[in-house]
Amino acid sequence: MKDVEKLLRGKIPGPDTGIEIRKSICTICDPTTQCGLDLYVKDGKIIKVEGSTEHPYSVGTLCAKGAASRQYVYSEDRLKTPLKRTGARGSGKFEPISWDEALDAIAAKFNEIKKQNGPESVAFFSGYTKYFRPYLKRLAHSFSSPNYLTESSTCHQAMAMAQKLTFGLPGGPDLKNTQCLLVWSANPFYSNPGNARAILKGKERGMTLIVVDPRQTPTTALADLHLQVRPGSDGALALAMANVIINENLYDHDFVSSHTYGFEEYRQYVQQFTPERGEEMTGVPADKITRAARMYASVKPAAIMPSASPVVHHTNGVQNYRAVFALVGLTGNYDIPGGNFVVPPSFIHIPGLIPTREHEFIQCKPWSEMAPRIGADRFPVWLDVVDEEAQAMHLPFQIRSGKPYPIKALIGFGMNYRMWPDSNGLLEAVKKLDFFVNVDIFMTDTCKHADIVLPACTSVERSELRCYPMGYIIFTQPAISPLYDSRSDVEIIYELASRLGLKDPLFEAGYEAGVDWILEPSGLSVAELKKYPGGMFVPNPMKLPEKKYLKNGFKTPSGKMEFKSKVLEKYGEKPGFEALPVYTPPKHSRESTPELAQEFPFILNTGSRLPMYVHTRTFRLSWTNSLRPNHPAADINPTDAARLGMKQDDAIRISTPKGAIVVKANLTQMVQPGVIHMYHGHSDADVNVLFEGDYLDPLSGYPGFKSALCKIEKV
Amino acid sequence: MDKTIYLDLELCVGCGACVVACMDQNDIYPEKGQPAFRRIYKVEGGEFPDASIQHLSAGCVHCEDSPCVIGCPTGAATRDDRTGAIVVNKTLCIGCHSCALACPFGVPRYDRDDKMQKCNLCIERVEVGLEPACVRVCPVRALKFESPNKLQELKESKFIGNIVNAVHRAATRK
Repeated sequence: MKDVEKLLRGKIPGPDTGIEIRKSICTICDPTTQCGLDLYVKDGKIIKVEGSTEHPYSVGTLCAKGAASRQYVYSEDRLKTPLKRTGARGSGKFEPISWDEALDAIAAKFNEIKKQNGPESVAFFSGYTKYFRPYLKRLAHSFSSPNYLTESSTCHQAMAMAQKLTFGLPGGPDLKNTQCLLVWSANPFYSNPGNARAILKGKERGMTLIVVDPRQTPTTALADLHLQVRPGSDGALALAMANVIINENLYDHDFVSSHTYGFEEYRQYVQQFTPERGEEMTGVPADKITRAARMYASVKPAAIMPSASPVVHHTNGVQNYRAVFALVGLTGNYDIPGGNFVVPPSFIHIPGLIPTREHEFIQCKPWSEMAPRIGADRFPVWLDVVDEEAQAMHLPFQIRSGKPYPIKALIGFGMNYRMWPDSNGLLEAVKKLDFFVNVDIFMTDTCKHADIVLPACTSVERSELRCYPMGYIIFTQPAISPLYDSRSDVEIIYELASRLGLKDPLFEAGYEAGVDWILEPSGLSVAELKKYPGGMFVPNPMKLPEKKYLKNGFKTPSGKMEFKSKVLEKYGEKPGFEALPVYTPPKHSRESTPELAQEFPFILNTGSRLPMYVHTRTFRLSWTNSLRPNHPAADINPTDAARLGMKQDDAIRISTPKGAIVVKANLTQMVQPGVIHMYHGHSDADVNVLFEGDYLDPLSGYPGFKSALCKIEKV
Repeated sequence: MDKTIYLDLELCVGCGACVVACMDQNDIYPEKGQPAFRRIYKVEGGEFPDASIQHLSAGCVHCEDSPCVIGCPTGAATRDDRTGAIVVNKTLCIGCHSCALACPFGVPRYDRDDKMQKCNLCIERVEVGLEPACVRVCPVRALKFESPNKLQELKESKFIGNIVNAVHRAATRK
């Protein structure tokens, strides 16, 4: 065989083969995890992908999702042109239209609604990915609508709320320097490989690892102590740990006496949470609780790694995480190296060690000059501490009620209606809208219900700005031209701004000028960044001192770290709004609803990550799907399965008071007895139809996806 | 034999990145009935609360005595002298499945043409100094491509590191 043929077969880049490596990033999951991509391109087509070795986050590796990028980009489900609905909503009947026709129709309809009902009656929603969010938020507010909504209504924000209520500013775990890492319900091996590698490195240098997780995961397998809680009882576990730390005098007296508010009441409250009582409430043996508390409080410095959604996907989620974050202050691990260190965000929530004008860019109109956000009445604490957006969980309720004002139109970018509890209820509400547009890469179930569908391109076909916590930054350039008639989300947003006649100078200046405007305080520019197609380290990374609160105080009403929240004090001990991090079992649970638990004896725990999927984004790829051939399936502990006479792959029905789905049984020790775990988003078995639309945390509005009650039976 | 693919069982989490990277490298499409060259297995032991779950990624081990090469009647399966890879010449394969009977590890698979399919160690990549695709992608570096002695060296230094950490912990406790 000729050498060139051999090289081509091996996809070896070089002049002989005409295969060129082009740089980009993967944004199949988001954020912090935008792994560097080396795209092997021949004749304008990607023939293979690999991780970029120079990228400091991904260091040449990819996960199963990113490794499947080529199938993602060239999927047969790609939307090819703008589409206009011709059949009934949901029928999937569309006809191709031109970009001009589509964008003009959208602009005309939005402006008509603005004139008749007010700008707030048009809502703007972002699902994945996140790179375009600053521009979409500016579009909404420039249009004078407060209703910029995102999937952060079910992810990340509630965790940040718990931290903000406690400290004012959230502090992330300093993985590089910590001696004791307490991972509170996260499994980065399936969701954030960079953090997983940091844990492995920590273990190599002797770091102690404690993991709280209701499941058995690769992270719990590495733990010195695994506290396998019953789903939703995290608050009781944290309070029992506080009981040990306080009563064994292991807490940081200096920090507590100088920098905290409400300690005495907190100290008294935790007295009832003895390790033995903790065991009853959480299922974690009392001696393990005691050992974990001693370890976390005595190994210095210690950090807590929270998760974006598992703990806050409970009806008591924010209070539970407040109880967890109280431990950070109690042990004096706030804003110190190796503890939970505060780094200000630079762009799209990521602390990139550079100053930017992102906030000024996105909040181009103050909230006070717009109507109240969706969910403002119902989730007042969200309004108190979440500055970025409206609470999308209230969307179906406001569409149905028309109160305090009607919602008439919605444009989604990557919107997936199955994100909501009672997903069919959300869909029914969306059908009531006068006008619904969805922008997506693929023809999804949600797109099928839109009046106009716009084709977006993938990350490798566009330009985007990203920064990384190690002070790395990239402005990507297209590795291939956008496929078919697709466009980047940002281009769509800028086109809409123009056709809506917003006369917004920063939109009129164009996309790259907007990026330059945001980056201005950092001294960086798009022109400079383009010289480094694979990204670069920022030239002058911010050097941040520890204990910044010594100079600035805490950004809380009391100016101190708050064991007792002054924000919540004003709600007068309304159930769920208690000022102390009070533990209340999940709304539907053995403890709260014993009668319901008689009929529905299992805890339904949903949506934990699998390594080959992020939500539904790689469902349609044969490469990722081949890793999990028997889905949709629910995880059930073999002991429960044996008792109920169920075998692997048996068809089973999962029922709640709300509804039922039929799936396969997957017998695994990953779940504990008494718990059924089901992955979300399946078109043919959408587990979110089993939840009521109002099964929500009253503080955050987050759905209780991780603990409802269910029963299972063989079909 | 020079370098070989090695799996560190302590590190493998069964994420499947190696399987996908292999399919991307070798243009394997499961929907066309083409079998994967690597597969993920999960082994569970014990019961709650003491259960354990072990993952592993398996493919051809390119073994020294290579029963598939010995058993192949047409010479389709051969050993590449330079890399040690066991490679299959599809034009010579007659689909007799002798290799399946011979291989103690259950590696050989067959496509819709009944031709034997398996990992070829990314021989074209290895020849130009690159790692096999599965090794290159592995997010936790559980898969390694090294000589046996280098692998032993890595294992030994990890073991020494554990001792150092234990001594350090004991010293700081005093």
